[in-house]
Amino acid sequence: MKIICLVKYVPNVEDIKYDYEENVLIRDNVKLILNPDDAAAVAYSLKAKEVNPDLSIEVLTMGPKSVRPFVEDLLRRNVNKATIISDPAFAGSDTYATSKILASYLKEKEYDCILTGSKSLDGDTAHVPAQLGELLSLNQMSNIISIDQDSFNEKSAIIEVESGDKTLTYRMSFPAILSFRKETGYELPYIKYENMSLDVSDKLNFISNEELQLDEDMIGLKGSLTRVANTYNKNFKEKNKIVVKNDDQGIDYVYSFLKKKGFV
Amino acid sequence: MKKSLVYIDPENVQNSIEILEVVAQIHQEEDFKSYGALINNSTSIQGLHQFDYIINIQNQNLKNYDPVAVTDVMEQLNKKYNFDSIIIPATHFGRMLAPRLAMRLHVGLVADVTKINHNGENLELVRPAFSGRIMAGIITEARKPIMLSVRQNVFAYDVQADKEAEVIDYQPENFKQGEIELLNIQENNISYDIRESEILVSGGGGTLKNFDQIKLLADKLNAEVSASRKIIDNGKADRNIQVGQSGKTVSPDLYIALGISGAIEHVAGLKNIDNIIAVNINKSAPICSLSDIVVEGDALEFVKKLSDKIDENEDQKN
Repeated sequence: MKIICLVKYVPNVEDIKYDYEENVLIRDNVKLILNPDDAAAVAYSLKAKEVNPDLSIEVLTMGPKSVRPFVEDLLRRNVNKATIISDPAFAGSDTYATSKILASYLKEKEYDCILTGSKSLDGDTAHVPAQLGELLSLNQMSNIISIDQDSFNEKSAIIEVESGDKTLTYRMSFPAILSFRKETGYELPYIKYENMSLDVSDKLNFISNEELQLDEDMIGLKGSLTRVANTYNKNFKEKNKIVVKNDDQGIDYVYSFLKKKGFV
Repeated sequence: MKKSLVYIDPENVQNSIEILEVVAQIHQEEDFKSYGALINNSTSIQGLHQFDYIINIQNQNLKNYDPVAVTDVMEQLNKKYNFDSIIIPATHFGRMLAPRLAMRLHVGLVADVTKINHNGENLELVRPAFSGRIMAGIITEARKPIMLSVRQNVFAYDVQADKEAEVIDYQPENFKQGEIELLNIQENNISYDIRESEILVSGGGGTLKNFDQIKLLADKLNAEVSASRKIIDNGKADRNIQVGQSGKTVSPDLYIALGISGAIEHVAGLKNIDNIIAVNINKSAPICSLSDIVVEGDALEFVKKLSDKIDENEDQKN
Protein backbone atom coordinates (compact mmCIF):
# COMPACT_ATOMS: atom_id res chain seq x y z
CA MET A 1 0.00 0.00 0.00
CA LYS A 2 1.29 3.45 -0.85
CA ILE A 3 0.47 6.73 0.87
CA ILE A 4 1.51 10.17 -0.29
CA CYS A 5 1.62 12.75 2.51
CA LEU A 6 1.19 16.27 1.23
CA VAL A 7 2.68 18.79 3.66
CA LYS A 8 3.55 22.45 3.88
CA TYR A 9 6.13 24.30 5.94
CA VAL A 10 4.66 27.48 7.39
CA PRO A 11 5.74 30.34 9.62
CA ASN A 12 4.73 29.53 13.17
CA VAL A 13 1.98 32.06 13.68
CA GLU A 14 2.13 31.40 17.43
CA ASP A 15 5.35 33.42 17.34
CA ILE A 16 3.58 36.38 15.77
CA LYS A 17 2.53 38.80 18.48
CA TYR A 18 0.19 41.72 18.29
CA ASP A 19 0.78 45.17 19.68
CA TYR A 20 -2.67 46.37 20.69
CA GLU A 21 -1.52 49.89 21.42
CA GLU A 22 0.03 50.42 17.98
CA ASN A 23 -2.23 47.95 16.15
CA VAL A 24 0.65 46.23 14.37
CA LEU A 25 1.90 42.68 13.97
CA ILE A 26 5.27 41.86 15.46
CA ARG A 27 6.86 39.28 13.19
CA ASP A 28 10.33 39.07 14.72
CA ASN A 29 11.78 35.63 15.46
CA VAL A 30 9.12 33.74 13.57
CA LYS A 31 10.27 30.17 12.85
CA LEU A 32 9.30 27.77 10.09
CA ILE A 33 7.40 24.67 11.24
CA LEU A 34 5.62 21.69 9.71
CA ASN A 35 1.98 22.77 9.44
CA PRO A 36 0.30 21.09 12.47
CA ASP A 37 -2.61 19.54 10.55
CA ASP A 38 -0.12 18.08 8.04
CA ALA A 39 2.05 16.75 10.87
CA ALA A 40 -0.96 14.75 12.06
CA ALA A 41 -1.23 13.19 8.58
CA VAL A 42 2.43 12.13 8.60
CA ALA A 43 2.13 10.88 12.17
CA TYR A 44 -0.88 8.74 11.27
CA SER A 45 0.96 7.31 8.25
CA LEU A 46 3.95 6.35 10.36
CA LYS A 47 1.66 4.68 12.86
CA ALA A 48 -0.05 2.73 10.07
CA LYS A 49 3.39 1.68 8.83
CA GLU A 50 4.22 0.22 12.23
CA VAL A 51 1.26 -2.11 11.87
CA ASN A 52 1.88 -2.76 8.19
CA PRO A 53 5.63 -2.56 7.41
CA ASP A 54 4.95 -3.01 3.68
CA LEU A 55 3.27 0.34 3.60
CA SER A 56 5.28 2.94 1.73
CA ILE A 57 5.16 6.66 2.56
CA GLU A 58 6.19 9.47 0.27
CA VAL A 59 6.21 13.01 1.65
CA LEU A 60 5.49 15.70 -0.93
CA THR A 61 5.97 19.39 -0.31
CA MET A 62 6.27 22.55 -2.35
CA GLY A 63 8.34 25.47 -1.20
CA PRO A 64 11.81 26.96 -1.15
CA LYS A 65 14.82 24.61 -1.17
CA SER A 66 15.54 25.76 2.37
CA VAL A 67 12.91 23.34 3.72
CA ARG A 68 15.35 20.50 2.98
CA PRO A 69 16.60 19.94 6.56
CA PHE A 70 13.01 19.72 7.83
CA VAL A 71 12.13 17.18 5.17
CA GLU A 72 15.27 15.17 5.95
CA ASP A 73 14.10 14.89 9.53
CA LEU A 74 10.91 13.23 8.30
CA LEU A 75 13.01 10.77 6.27
CA ARG A 76 14.92 9.97 9.49
CA ARG A 77 11.58 9.00 11.02
CA ASN A 78 10.95 6.11 8.65
CA VAL A 79 9.34 7.96 5.76
CA ASN A 80 10.42 6.10 2.60
CA LYS A 81 10.80 8.92 0.15
CA ALA A 82 10.42 12.67 -0.04
CA THR A 83 9.88 15.04 -2.94
CA ILE A 84 10.38 18.79 -2.77
CA ILE A 85 8.77 20.73 -5.60
CA SER A 86 10.76 23.91 -5.82
CA ASP A 87 11.32 26.45 -8.52
CA PRO A 88 11.60 30.25 -8.36
CA ALA A 89 9.03 30.26 -11.18
CA PHE A 90 6.45 28.88 -8.75
CA ALA A 91 6.87 31.72 -6.26
CA GLY A 92 3.75 33.80 -5.71
CA SER A 93 1.38 31.01 -6.74
CA ASP A 94 -2.04 31.26 -5.12
CA THR A 95 -4.00 28.15 -4.15
CA TYR A 96 -5.36 27.77 -7.69
CA ALA A 97 -1.88 27.73 -9.28
CA THR A 98 -0.41 25.66 -6.44
CA SER A 99 -3.05 22.99 -6.89
CA LYS A 100 -2.25 22.79 -10.61
CA ILE A 101 1.47 22.42 -9.94
CA LEU A 102 0.95 19.70 -7.34
CA ALA A 103 -1.59 17.91 -9.55
CA SER A 104 0.82 17.83 -12.49
CA TYR A 105 3.26 15.87 -10.30
CA LEU A 106 0.64 13.65 -8.67
CA LYS A 107 -1.19 12.64 -11.83
CA GLU A 108 1.85 10.62 -12.91
CA LYS A 109 2.04 8.77 -9.60
CA GLU A 110 0.42 5.67 -8.23
CA TYR A 111 -0.94 5.69 -4.70
CA ASP A 112 -3.83 4.41 -2.63
CA CYS A 113 -4.51 7.64 -0.84
CA ILE A 114 -3.18 11.12 -0.22
CA LEU A 115 -3.08 12.16 3.42
CA THR A 116 -2.75 15.83 4.27
CA GLY A 117 -3.97 18.52 6.65
CA SER A 118 -7.31 20.32 6.54
CA LYS A 119 -5.85 23.81 6.50
CA SER A 120 -2.58 25.64 6.87
CA LEU A 121 -1.73 28.02 9.69
CA ASP A 122 -0.70 30.84 7.37
CA GLY A 123 -3.17 30.97 4.48
CA ASP A 124 -5.93 29.06 6.26
CA THR A 125 -8.02 28.74 3.09
CA ALA A 126 -8.22 24.90 3.01
CA HIS A 127 -8.39 25.16 -0.79
CA VAL A 128 -5.54 22.96 -1.94
CA PRO A 129 -6.76 19.51 -0.80
CA ALA A 130 -10.22 20.06 -2.31
CA GLN A 131 -8.83 21.54 -5.53
CA LEU A 132 -6.42 18.64 -5.92
CA GLY A 133 -9.43 16.39 -5.52
CA GLU A 134 -11.08 18.15 -8.42
CA LEU A 135 -7.97 18.05 -10.63
CA LEU A 136 -7.22 14.39 -9.89
CA SER A 137 -10.90 13.32 -9.93
CA LEU A 138 -10.72 12.08 -6.35
CA ASN A 139 -13.03 12.54 -3.44
CA GLN A 140 -11.67 14.51 -0.52
CA MET A 141 -12.71 14.89 3.10
CA SER A 142 -11.62 17.58 5.57
CA ASN A 143 -11.60 17.79 9.37
CA ILE A 144 -10.75 14.14 9.98
CA ILE A 145 -10.16 13.49 13.66
CA SER A 146 -9.56 9.76 13.46
CA ILE A 147 -9.19 6.85 11.08
CA ASP A 148 -10.21 3.41 12.21
CA GLN A 149 -6.91 1.53 11.93
CA ASP A 150 -8.50 -1.88 11.28
CA SER A 151 -10.54 -0.53 8.38
CA PHE A 152 -7.61 1.20 6.69
CA ASN A 153 -6.61 -0.78 3.59
CA GLU A 154 -6.07 -0.41 -0.17
CA LYS A 155 -9.78 -0.25 -0.84
CA SER A 156 -11.22 2.14 1.73
CA ALA A 157 -11.16 3.52 5.26
CA ILE A 158 -13.67 4.40 7.94
CA ILE A 159 -13.08 7.92 9.18
CA GLU A 160 -14.47 10.22 11.83
CA VAL A 161 -15.00 13.85 10.94
CA GLU A 162 -15.86 16.83 13.06
CA SER A 163 -18.55 18.98 11.50
CA GLY A 164 -19.88 21.81 13.60
CA ASP A 165 -21.61 20.23 16.56
CA LYS A 166 -21.60 16.72 15.15
CA THR A 167 -19.15 13.89 14.68
CA LEU A 168 -19.76 12.13 11.38
CA THR A 169 -18.54 8.67 10.45
CA TYR A 170 -17.94 7.92 6.78
CA ARG A 171 -16.59 5.09 4.69
CA MET A 172 -14.50 6.50 1.86
CA SER A 173 -13.36 4.43 -1.09
CA PHE A 174 -9.80 4.80 -2.31
CA PRO A 175 -8.06 6.45 -3.98
CA ALA A 176 -9.08 9.58 -2.08
CA ILE A 177 -7.64 12.59 -0.30
CA LEU A 178 -7.99 12.57 3.47
CA SER A 179 -7.38 15.83 5.33
CA PHE A 180 -6.61 15.63 9.05
CA ARG A 181 -6.97 18.09 11.84
CA LYS A 182 -4.20 18.46 14.34
CA GLU A 183 -6.54 17.40 17.14
CA THR A 184 -6.28 13.75 16.08
CA GLY A 185 -3.81 13.02 18.84
CA TYR A 186 -1.44 11.42 16.31
CA GLU A 187 1.99 12.84 17.04
CA LEU A 188 5.24 12.57 15.16
CA PRO A 189 7.63 10.16 16.87
CA TYR A 190 11.08 11.34 17.92
CA ILE A 191 13.97 10.56 15.64
CA LYS A 192 15.83 7.55 16.98
CA TYR A 193 19.20 8.52 18.42
CA GLU A 194 21.15 6.38 15.96
CA ASN A 195 19.34 8.04 13.05
CA MET A 196 19.93 11.64 14.11
CA SER A 197 22.56 12.29 11.46
CA LEU A 198 21.58 9.54 9.05
CA ASP A 199 22.37 10.41 5.45
CA VAL A 200 19.02 10.34 3.68
CA SER A 201 19.95 12.19 0.51
CA ASP A 202 19.29 9.11 -1.66
CA LYS A 203 15.63 9.24 -0.61
CA LEU A 204 15.21 12.93 -1.34
CA ASN A 205 14.17 14.17 -4.71
CA PHE A 206 13.89 17.74 -6.04
CA ILE A 207 11.44 18.57 -8.82
CA SER A 208 11.46 21.85 -10.69
CA ASN A 209 9.52 23.13 -13.64
CA GLU A 210 12.12 21.56 -15.90
CA GLU A 211 10.54 18.23 -15.07
CA LEU A 212 6.92 19.41 -14.79
CA GLN A 213 7.02 21.59 -17.92
CA LEU A 214 4.10 23.80 -16.96
CA ASP A 215 3.31 26.75 -19.13
CA GLU A 216 4.44 29.97 -17.45
CA ASP A 217 0.92 31.38 -17.70
CA MET A 218 -0.24 28.61 -15.36
CA ILE A 219 2.19 29.19 -12.51
CA GLY A 220 3.43 31.83 -10.11
CA LEU A 221 1.78 35.23 -10.04
CA LYS A 222 0.77 34.93 -13.69
CA GLY A 223 -1.14 31.72 -13.12
CA SER A 224 -2.86 33.01 -10.00
CA LEU A 225 -6.47 34.19 -10.05
CA THR A 226 -6.36 35.93 -6.70
CA ARG A 227 -3.96 38.44 -5.27
CA VAL A 228 -3.61 40.25 -1.98
CA ALA A 229 -4.35 43.90 -2.70
CA ASN A 230 -4.24 45.23 0.85
CA THR A 231 -3.52 44.07 4.33
CA TYR A 232 -5.26 45.57 7.29
CA ASN A 233 -4.31 45.45 10.89
CA LYS A 234 -7.24 44.79 13.12
CA ASN A 235 -8.12 47.99 14.84
CA PHE A 236 -9.42 47.05 18.20
CA LYS A 237 -11.53 49.57 19.98
CA GLU A 238 -9.86 50.44 23.23
CA LYS A 239 -12.11 51.13 26.19
CA ASN A 240 -11.76 53.32 29.21
CA LYS A 241 -11.18 50.43 31.52
CA ILE A 242 -11.55 50.62 35.26
CA VAL A 243 -9.07 48.45 37.14
CA VAL A 244 -10.18 46.99 40.46
CA LYS A 245 -8.69 44.47 42.88
CA ASN A 246 -10.09 41.05 43.57
CA ASP A 247 -11.30 42.13 47.01
CA ASP A 248 -14.65 43.09 48.56
CA GLN A 249 -14.54 46.54 47.07
CA GLY A 250 -13.69 45.19 43.62
CA ILE A 251 -16.42 42.53 43.77
CA ASP A 252 -18.90 45.23 44.89
CA TYR A 253 -17.93 47.29 41.88
CA VAL A 254 -18.41 44.37 39.50
CA TYR A 255 -21.70 43.47 41.13
CA SER A 256 -23.13 46.98 40.84
CA PHE A 257 -21.99 47.12 37.20
CA LEU A 258 -23.88 43.89 36.50
CA LYS A 259 -26.89 45.18 38.40
CA LYS A 260 -26.92 48.53 36.59
CA LYS A 261 -26.82 46.70 33.25
CA GLY A 262 -29.53 44.28 34.30
CA PHE A 263 -27.43 41.10 34.25
CA VAL A 264 -28.30 40.18 37.85
CA MET B 1 -30.05 41.71 -14.28
CA LYS B 2 -27.37 40.13 -12.08
CA LYS B 3 -27.90 36.67 -10.66
CA SER B 4 -26.38 35.34 -7.48
CA LEU B 5 -26.44 31.72 -6.32
CA VAL B 6 -26.19 30.83 -2.65
CA TYR B 7 -25.55 27.24 -1.61
CA ILE B 8 -27.83 26.49 1.33
CA ASP B 9 -26.08 24.22 3.79
CA PRO B 10 -28.75 21.90 5.19
CA GLU B 11 -26.77 21.82 8.44
CA ASN B 12 -27.13 25.57 8.92
CA VAL B 13 -29.95 27.14 6.97
CA GLN B 14 -29.93 30.37 9.00
CA ASN B 15 -26.35 31.15 8.00
CA SER B 16 -27.25 30.78 4.36
CA ILE B 17 -29.98 33.39 4.77
CA GLU B 18 -27.45 35.79 6.28
CA ILE B 19 -25.46 35.44 3.08
CA LEU B 20 -28.19 37.50 1.38
CA GLU B 21 -26.52 40.49 3.05
CA VAL B 22 -23.31 39.55 1.22
CA VAL B 23 -25.18 39.29 -2.07
CA ALA B 24 -26.62 42.77 -1.49
CA GLN B 25 -23.22 44.23 -0.61
CA ILE B 26 -21.55 42.72 -3.67
CA HIS B 27 -24.14 43.82 -6.21
CA GLN B 28 -25.16 47.05 -4.47
CA GLU B 29 -27.38 49.24 -6.65
CA GLU B 30 -27.34 46.85 -9.59
CA ASP B 31 -30.54 44.95 -10.23
CA PHE B 32 -30.05 41.45 -8.91
CA LYS B 33 -31.92 38.29 -8.06
CA SER B 34 -30.87 35.82 -5.40
CA TYR B 35 -31.13 32.07 -5.93
CA GLY B 36 -30.79 29.54 -3.13
CA ALA B 37 -29.75 25.98 -4.03
CA LEU B 38 -31.35 23.50 -1.66
CA ILE B 39 -30.55 19.81 -1.94
CA ASN B 40 -32.76 17.09 -0.45
CA ASN B 41 -34.05 19.30 2.31
CA SER B 42 -37.45 20.57 1.18
CA THR B 43 -38.68 20.86 4.78
CA SER B 44 -36.50 23.98 5.05
CA ILE B 45 -38.25 25.85 2.21
CA GLN B 46 -40.62 27.48 4.68
CA GLY B 47 -37.78 29.38 6.30
CA LEU B 48 -36.19 30.53 3.06
CA HIS B 49 -38.62 33.08 1.68
CA GLN B 50 -36.05 35.86 1.84
CA PHE B 51 -34.55 34.53 -1.39
CA ASP B 52 -36.03 35.51 -4.76
CA TYR B 53 -35.85 31.92 -5.98
CA ILE B 54 -35.29 28.59 -4.27
CA ILE B 55 -33.92 25.92 -6.55
CA ASN B 56 -35.32 22.82 -4.93
CA ILE B 57 -33.39 19.68 -5.80
CA GLN B 58 -34.83 16.36 -4.70
CA ASN B 59 -32.98 13.29 -5.84
CA GLN B 60 -32.53 10.17 -3.77
CA ASN B 61 -29.28 9.22 -5.49
CA LEU B 62 -27.73 12.57 -4.68
CA LYS B 63 -25.99 12.65 -1.32
CA ASN B 64 -25.80 16.19 -0.05
CA TYR B 65 -22.65 15.28 1.90
CA ASP B 66 -20.74 14.20 -1.23
CA PRO B 67 -18.69 17.14 -2.55
CA VAL B 68 -18.03 15.42 -5.88
CA ALA B 69 -21.73 14.97 -6.69
CA VAL B 70 -22.77 18.38 -5.36
CA THR B 71 -20.04 20.07 -7.45
CA ASP B 72 -21.51 18.44 -10.58
CA VAL B 73 -24.99 19.71 -9.71
CA MET B 74 -23.77 23.24 -8.93
CA GLU B 75 -21.91 23.31 -12.25
CA GLN B 76 -25.11 22.33 -14.05
CA LEU B 77 -27.00 25.12 -12.30
CA ASN B 78 -24.34 27.60 -13.30
CA LYS B 79 -24.55 26.47 -16.91
CA LYS B 80 -28.30 26.92 -16.88
CA TYR B 81 -28.46 30.32 -15.15
CA ASN B 82 -25.04 31.84 -15.88
CA PHE B 83 -24.59 33.34 -12.41
CA ASP B 84 -22.62 36.51 -11.72
CA SER B 85 -21.71 35.36 -8.23
CA ILE B 86 -21.73 32.09 -6.33
CA ILE B 87 -21.52 32.32 -2.57
CA ILE B 88 -21.04 29.43 -0.21
CA PRO B 89 -21.19 29.44 3.60
CA ALA B 90 -17.84 28.47 5.12
CA THR B 91 -19.26 25.46 6.94
CA HIS B 92 -17.44 22.12 7.08
CA PHE B 93 -19.11 21.04 3.83
CA GLY B 94 -19.06 24.48 2.20
CA ARG B 95 -15.32 24.69 2.67
CA MET B 96 -14.89 21.46 0.70
CA LEU B 97 -17.43 22.36 -1.98
CA ALA B 98 -16.29 25.91 -2.75
CA PRO B 99 -12.66 25.18 -3.81
CA ARG B 100 -13.73 22.22 -5.91
CA LEU B 101 -16.40 24.23 -7.71
CA ALA B 102 -14.06 27.20 -8.25
CA MET B 103 -11.52 24.90 -9.88
CA ARG B 104 -14.25 23.34 -12.04
CA LEU B 105 -15.40 26.79 -13.19
CA HIS B 106 -11.81 28.07 -13.57
CA VAL B 107 -12.39 31.04 -11.31
CA GLY B 108 -10.55 32.41 -8.31
CA LEU B 109 -11.96 31.84 -4.86
CA VAL B 110 -11.71 33.86 -1.68
CA ALA B 111 -12.29 31.86 1.51
CA ASP B 112 -13.90 32.92 4.78
CA VAL B 113 -14.82 36.42 3.73
CA THR B 114 -15.70 38.73 6.63
CA LYS B 115 -16.06 42.07 4.81
CA ILE B 116 -16.81 43.44 1.33
CA ASN B 117 -15.05 46.56 0.04
CA HIS B 118 -15.64 48.36 -3.22
CA ASN B 119 -12.47 50.21 -4.15
CA GLY B 120 -13.37 52.03 -7.33
CA GLU B 121 -13.88 49.34 -9.97
CA ASN B 122 -12.41 46.63 -7.80
CA LEU B 123 -14.33 44.32 -5.56
CA GLU B 124 -12.07 43.63 -2.61
CA LEU B 125 -12.95 40.68 -0.40
CA VAL B 126 -11.49 40.83 3.08
CA ARG B 127 -10.56 37.71 5.03
CA PRO B 128 -8.46 36.81 8.05
CA ALA B 129 -4.94 35.44 7.43
CA PHE B 130 -2.16 34.16 9.69
CA SER B 131 -4.79 32.58 11.95
CA GLY B 132 -6.62 35.86 12.26
CA ARG B 133 -3.63 38.01 13.13
CA ILE B 134 -4.09 40.17 10.08
CA MET B 135 -6.86 40.89 7.56
CA ALA B 136 -6.08 40.53 3.86
CA GLY B 137 -8.04 42.30 1.11
CA ILE B 138 -8.15 39.97 -1.90
CA ILE B 139 -8.90 40.88 -5.48
CA THR B 140 -9.76 38.16 -7.97
CA GLU B 141 -9.12 38.02 -11.69
CA ALA B 142 -12.16 39.39 -13.51
CA ARG B 143 -13.87 36.15 -14.41
CA LYS B 144 -17.42 35.06 -14.00
CA PRO B 145 -18.84 34.04 -11.60
CA ILE B 146 -17.30 35.79 -8.60
CA MET B 147 -16.82 33.06 -6.01
CA LEU B 148 -16.39 33.30 -2.28
CA SER B 149 -17.06 31.44 0.90
CA VAL B 150 -18.37 33.47 3.81
CA ARG B 151 -17.42 33.10 7.45
CA GLN B 152 -20.40 32.13 9.55
CA ASN B 153 -22.06 34.50 11.98
CA VAL B 154 -20.39 37.65 10.66
CA PHE B 155 -22.98 39.23 8.37
CA ALA B 156 -26.51 40.07 9.45
CA TYR B 157 -29.41 40.37 7.03
CA ASP B 158 -32.42 42.62 7.60
CA VAL B 159 -35.37 40.39 6.98
CA GLN B 160 -37.95 41.81 4.58
CA ALA B 161 -41.58 41.38 5.50
CA ASP B 162 -44.01 39.66 3.12
CA LYS B 163 -41.29 38.31 0.92
CA GLU B 164 -42.19 35.17 -0.98
CA ALA B 165 -39.61 33.05 -2.81
CA GLU B 166 -40.51 31.36 -6.05
CA VAL B 167 -39.70 27.65 -5.77
CA ILE B 168 -38.16 26.09 -8.85
CA ASP B 169 -38.02 22.31 -8.85
CA TYR B 170 -34.86 21.14 -10.54
CA GLN B 171 -33.81 17.63 -11.52
CA PRO B 172 -30.06 17.32 -12.01
CA GLU B 173 -28.79 15.43 -15.02
CA ASN B 174 -26.20 12.78 -14.39
CA PHE B 175 -23.68 13.42 -11.66
CA LYS B 176 -20.61 11.53 -10.59
CA GLN B 177 -20.80 9.89 -7.20
CA GLY B 178 -17.78 10.23 -4.98
CA GLU B 179 -17.98 6.78 -3.40
CA ILE B 180 -18.52 8.01 0.07
CA GLU B 181 -21.01 6.61 2.52
CA LEU B 182 -22.29 8.24 5.69
CA LEU B 183 -22.36 5.56 8.39
CA ASN B 184 -23.20 7.46 11.54
CA ILE B 185 -24.03 10.89 12.93
CA GLN B 186 -23.31 11.61 16.55
CA GLU B 187 -24.43 14.83 18.18
CA ASN B 188 -21.70 16.22 20.37
CA ASN B 189 -22.75 16.72 23.93
CA ILE B 190 -22.85 20.49 24.05
CA SER B 191 -26.49 21.53 23.98
CA TYR B 192 -25.97 25.23 23.26
CA ASP B 193 -24.33 27.31 20.57
CA ILE B 194 -21.98 29.97 22.00
CA ARG B 195 -22.65 32.13 18.94
CA GLU B 196 -26.22 32.53 20.18
CA SER B 197 -25.41 33.12 23.86
CA GLU B 198 -26.43 36.38 25.54
CA ILE B 199 -23.99 36.06 28.41
CA LEU B 200 -20.73 34.12 28.20
CA VAL B 201 -18.50 33.21 31.09
CA SER B 202 -15.28 32.27 29.37
CA GLY B 203 -12.25 30.52 30.81
CA GLY B 204 -8.62 30.60 29.72
CA GLY B 205 -5.24 29.45 31.01
CA GLY B 206 -5.92 31.08 34.37
CA THR B 207 -8.73 28.59 35.01
CA LEU B 208 -6.81 25.53 33.86
CA LYS B 209 -6.54 23.94 37.30
CA ASN B 210 -10.29 23.82 37.69
CA PHE B 211 -12.05 24.86 34.53
CA ASP B 212 -15.34 23.23 35.53
CA GLN B 213 -15.60 25.61 38.46
CA ILE B 214 -16.42 28.55 36.19
CA LYS B 215 -19.79 26.92 35.61
CA LEU B 216 -20.65 28.00 39.15
CA LEU B 217 -20.63 31.64 38.09
CA ALA B 218 -22.23 30.91 34.72
CA ASP B 219 -25.20 29.31 36.49
CA LYS B 220 -25.69 32.32 38.75
CA LEU B 221 -25.81 34.62 35.72
CA ASN B 222 -27.91 32.32 33.54
CA ALA B 223 -24.91 32.38 31.28
CA GLU B 224 -23.21 29.80 29.13
CA VAL B 225 -19.63 28.66 29.33
CA SER B 226 -17.03 29.19 26.62
CA ALA B 227 -13.26 28.79 26.57
CA SER B 228 -10.02 29.88 24.99
CA ARG B 229 -7.82 27.61 22.94
CA LYS B 230 -5.57 26.80 25.86
CA ILE B 231 -8.44 25.05 27.63
CA ILE B 232 -9.42 23.11 24.52
CA ASP B 233 -5.85 22.06 23.71
CA ASN B 234 -5.51 20.77 27.25
CA GLY B 235 -8.58 18.64 26.74
CA LYS B 236 -10.57 20.41 29.48
CA ALA B 237 -13.52 21.28 27.25
CA ASP B 238 -15.12 20.43 23.93
CA ARG B 239 -13.94 22.35 20.86
CA ASN B 240 -17.52 23.50 20.21
CA ILE B 241 -17.22 26.08 22.96
CA GLN B 242 -13.94 27.58 21.77
CA VAL B 243 -14.02 31.30 21.08
CA GLY B 244 -11.76 32.71 18.41
CA GLN B 245 -10.50 32.45 14.93
CA SER B 246 -10.16 28.72 14.69
CA GLY B 247 -13.21 28.47 16.90
CA LYS B 248 -16.16 30.79 16.69
CA THR B 249 -17.12 34.44 16.59
CA VAL B 250 -19.35 35.39 19.51
CA SER B 251 -21.36 38.50 20.25
CA PRO B 252 -23.02 38.23 23.65
CA ASP B 253 -24.22 41.28 25.60
CA LEU B 254 -21.79 40.45 28.38
CA TYR B 255 -18.48 38.62 28.16
CA ILE B 256 -16.60 37.69 31.31
CA ALA B 257 -13.05 36.68 30.42
CA LEU B 258 -11.57 34.63 33.24
CA GLY B 259 -7.83 34.14 33.11
CA ILE B 260 -7.76 34.79 29.36
CA SER B 261 -4.78 36.83 28.24
CA GLY B 262 -6.33 37.62 24.87
CA ALA B 263 -4.24 36.12 22.10
CA ILE B 264 -5.21 37.88 18.94
CA GLU B 265 -7.24 34.99 17.53
CA HIS B 266 -9.30 35.00 20.69
CA VAL B 267 -9.91 38.72 20.60
CA ALA B 268 -10.80 38.47 16.93
CA GLY B 269 -13.60 36.12 17.92
CA LEU B 270 -15.26 38.81 20.04
CA LYS B 271 -17.57 40.92 17.94
CA ASN B 272 -19.60 43.97 18.96
CA ILE B 273 -19.61 43.14 22.64
CA ASP B 274 -20.79 46.08 24.71
CA ASN B 275 -19.75 44.76 28.10
CA ILE B 276 -16.50 42.98 28.81
CA ILE B 277 -15.14 42.15 32.23
CA ALA B 278 -11.63 40.70 32.34
CA VAL B 279 -10.19 38.94 35.34
CA ASN B 280 -6.46 38.43 35.14
CA ILE B 281 -3.44 38.40 37.40
CA ASN B 282 -1.79 40.64 34.84
CA LYS B 283 -3.74 43.87 34.45
CA SER B 284 -1.78 44.63 31.26
CA ALA B 285 -2.85 41.43 29.49
CA PRO B 286 -3.97 42.29 25.94
CA ILE B 287 -7.64 41.59 26.65
CA CYS B 288 -7.65 44.24 29.37
CA SER B 289 -7.43 47.13 26.89
CA LEU B 290 -10.76 45.99 25.44
CA SER B 291 -12.53 45.64 28.78
CA ASP B 292 -14.86 47.87 30.76
CA ILE B 293 -13.68 46.45 34.05
CA VAL B 294 -10.40 44.74 34.77
CA VAL B 295 -10.26 42.73 37.96
CA GLU B 296 -6.67 42.18 38.94
CA GLY B 297 -6.42 38.79 40.57
CA ASP B 298 -6.94 35.05 40.39
CA ALA B 299 -9.81 34.05 38.11
CA LEU B 300 -11.06 31.08 40.11
CA GLU B 301 -11.03 33.08 43.32
CA PHE B 302 -13.11 35.73 41.54
CA VAL B 303 -15.60 33.08 40.43
CA LYS B 304 -16.12 32.05 44.04
CA LYS B 305 -16.36 35.60 45.38
CA LEU B 306 -18.74 36.96 42.77
CA SER B 307 -20.94 33.85 43.00
CA ASP B 308 -21.16 34.33 46.78
CA LYS B 309 -21.99 37.98 46.30
CA ILE B 310 -24.82 37.15 43.92
CA ASP B 311 -26.12 34.53 46.38
CA GLU B 312 -26.07 37.01 49.25
CA ASN B 313 -28.14 39.51 47.32
CA GLU B 314 -30.56 36.85 46.12
CA ASP B 315 -31.07 35.81 49.76
CA GLN B 316 -31.79 39.36 50.81
CA LYS B 317 -34.46 39.62 48.15
CA ASN B 318 -36.25 36.48 49.34
